[in-house]
Amino acid sequence: MKVSGTYFPSKSSRAIAAHAELSQDAVLTITAEDGAILTAVPFKDVRASSRLGKLYRCLDLPGGAHFETSDNDGVDAMFRAAGLLRRGAFIHRLESSLRWVAVAVLLATISATAIIVYGFPAAARWLAYETPRPVLAAISEQTLSTMDRLSLGPSRLTATERAKAKLLFDRVAAVAANGRNGYRLLFRNGNSLGPNAFSLPDGTIIVTDQLCRLVKRNDELEGVFGHELAHANRRHSLQMVYEDSLIPVAIALITGDASQFTQIASVLPAMLIQSSYSRGFELQADDDSVTMMRHIGADPSALGDLLLRMDKTLCGKDGCRPSWLGSHPATTERVARLRTLANSSR
Amino acid sequence: MLRTGTTAGGGGTKALHTLEFRGTGSEFFRIWIVNLALTIATLGIYSAWAKVRTTRYFRGNTFLAGHPFDYHASPIRILIGRFIAVLVLLGYGVTERISPTVVVLWATLFLFITPWLLVSSLRFSARNTSYRNVRLNFVGTISGAARVYILLPVLSLLTLFTTWPLVHRARDYYYVNNHTFGGKPFRTQFSGWSIYAIYLTALGLLLGVGIVAGAMITLMTFPVVRFGPGSQPTAEAIAFLICAYLTVFFLLAAVRIFVHAMATNLAIGNAVLDGHHELRSNLGAMPLAWIIATNTILTFLTLGLFYPWARVRLVRYQASCVALLAASDLDEFTSEVIATQGAIGEEIATFFDLGISL
Repeated sequence: MKVSGTYFPSKSSRAIAAHAELSQDAVLTITAEDGAILTAVPFKDVRASSRLGKLYRCLDLPGGAHFETSDNDGVDAMFRAAGLLRRGAFIHRLESSLRWVAVAVLLATISATAIIVYGFPAAARWLAYETPRPVLAAISEQTLSTMDRLSLGPSRLTATERAKAKLLFDRVAAVAANGRNGYRLLFRNGNSLGPNAFSLPDGTIIVTDQLCRLVKRNDELEGVFGHELAHANRRHSLQMVYEDSLIPVAIALITGDASQFTQIASVLPAMLIQSSYSRGFELQADDDSVTMMRHIGADPSALGDLLLRMDKTLCGKDGCRPSWLGSHPATTERVARLRTLANSSR
Repeated sequence: MLRTGTTAGGGGTKALHTLEFRGTGSEFFRIWIVNLALTIATLGIYSAWAKVRTTRYFRGNTFLAGHPFDYHASPIRILIGRFIAVLVLLGYGVTERISPTVVVLWATLFLFITPWLLVSSLRFSARNTSYRNVRLNFVGTISGAARVYILLPVLSLLTLFTTWPLVHRARDYYYVNNHTFGGKPFRTQFSGWSIYAIYLTALGLLLGVGIVAGAMITLMTFPVVRFGPGSQPTAEAIAFLICAYLTVFFLLAAVRIFVHAMATNLAIGNAVLDGHHELRSNLGAMPLAWIIATNTILTFLTLGLFYPWARVRLVRYQASCVALLAASDLDEFTSEVIATQGAIGEEIATFFDLGISL
C-alpha cells in the first residue's frame, strides 16, 4: 500500500518528494523518489489529520517529521488495513453524502425558523420584563429627547384642554397594571407626525395636540390611552429593541464570524421592524384597551372610530392602503375587530 | 492578480509565488451546513469542532508554492475557552443589573484586559497555523498592544484624530512585525506620507458621499419610530427609505473598504520575511467592494444559504492578490519549540468581536 506526497524532515521546511508505504507488520516507511529510505516508524505512532474536503492529508510522524499527501483515499486505505480508527471519518461521511447534507439543510432551516419565529420573541419578552426600572427610565428619557429633537414640539393646548385629557388618562390608568401613579402623561405638538400617541417603556405616554383635537368623544381618547398603556405595561417597544439586537447575534453564531456581512445584514430587518409594531403587539394592545374600557364603563369600539378618522387625516380621503409586508394590521381590520369585541362584551 | 513566475535577480533566482485558494463554495457549503446542524443538535457543544473544521478548510485550501497551510487548534481547548467566555458574558449580564457602577467596573476591566485578549488571540491563531511543517508565531507583548490600541488612540484624540493614519500604521507594524515564521521575523516599513495619502483620498470621497447622504437623510427623518395606533407609512415611503439607506450605507462601506484595501497593500506589500523574501499585495478597492456588496445582497436574498459561496469567493480573491517573491526554495526554515496555550483569550476576544487583522 503506497501513497505519494512530500516528506518534511523533523521540524524542517525542506520538501522532499517521497512516497509512504505500509508494510504487513504495520511499519510505515517513507522513501524518497531517488530510492533513499528517509524514515521508518510504527504505524500506530502516526497521527493523521481528519479528512476534510479535498484538503491535503498530513501524517505527523514521531519526532516532528511530517508527510503530506493529496491521496486521501490512499491514507484511509492504510488506516483500514492497519485496523485503526480514522478520526473524523463519520463527519466526513456526513459531509460527502447528499442525503445527510439534505437532512442537515432541513434541520438547520427548521430550527432557524423556529428560533426566529418563537425563540427571539420569547427571549425578547423575557429580557424586556427582566430589565430593571432605572434602565427603563434611562432608555425612555433617551427616546423622548430624540423624538423631541427630531419631530415633536412643545404643546400648544390650553390648560383646560390638558386638564380634561389628564382626567380621562387618570381614569384609565386607575384600572391599568401599575395604577394611577404608575404612569405619566405628556403633551407635545406632533408637527409632521400629526394626530398620534406614543408610549415609552417606563410608562410615559405622549399624545399630540393634533390627536387631542381630533377626538369627538371622551371614550375615544380613553380608548387610545388604554391602547398605549397596554404597550407600556407589556414593554412592547423594549421587546422590539431586544428582538432587533438579537438578530446580529444570531447571524454571528450561525455563520461563525462577525464580519462586514453581519453589520450590513443587521440593518435591513431592523429598519423594517422599527417602522411599526408587529401585528401581534397592536392586536394585543387593542384587546387590553377593550378590557380597560369595560372596567371603566366606556365604549370599547370608540377607539375604532378614532382610528378611522386618524387614517383620513394621515392618508387622505380613502384611508390608508392595505398594510405593507403584513407587519401592521390594516386599520379596517382592527376597527372590525374592536367592534366585534365591544359587541360581545355587552 | 499576481502571476507566478521566476525572475533572475541579482544574487540568485527569485520566484514569485501567488497565494492560491483551492476551496469551492459547494464543498464548503456541505461542511458549513453539517457544522450548523450538528451544532444545533448538540446545543452548541459541537461549535468548537465546527470552528476548527472551518478554519482548517480555509487554511488547508490556501496554497503557496504548491504546499498548503494547515491549522492545528484543539477543539477541546476552544470549547473550554468558549465556556469561559460564556461564563464571563453571563457574569456581566447578571451583575450589570445591580447598579450602574458595576457596569463602569466591567468597562474598566475590559479596557484593561483588551490588550491581553488581543495578544492571546493573535498568538493562538498564529501558533496553530503551519506551512511546510513549520509553525507561525506571534511575539507581540501586552504593553505593545496597549500602546497601539489604547494609548495612541487616546493621544490621537487629543490631536482631533489628525494623527489617526499614524495610529493605523503603528497597528499594522505591531501586527506584521510581531509575526514570525520558524523564528524568522516579518518586517514591514512604509512612510507616513503614504498612509496619509490614503486617508486624504478617503476624506475626499467621504465629502462627496456626505453631500449625497445629507440630502437623503433629510428625507429619511420623517418616519421616526412610530408607536401610535393607526398611522402607517406608505409602501413607497418605505421602499424609498430602504433604497436611500442602502445607498448611503454602501457608499460609506465602500470608503471603508478603500482604506482597508490600500492600507493592507502598504502593510503587506512592504513586508519582508527573514530579510530577503518579499511579500506583494495588490488588493483592489473596487473588486473588493463589488464582491462584498454582491455577497451581502445574495446572502440576504437566499436567507443566508449563499454564505458559504460568499466567503469562498471573498477569500479566493484576497488570496489571489497576495504573493511572495521568494529568494530561495523556502527549504531553510526550522520550527522553534513553542509552548501551546489555551484558547480562553481567543474565545473571549471572538465573543466580544475583538478579532483583529489587517
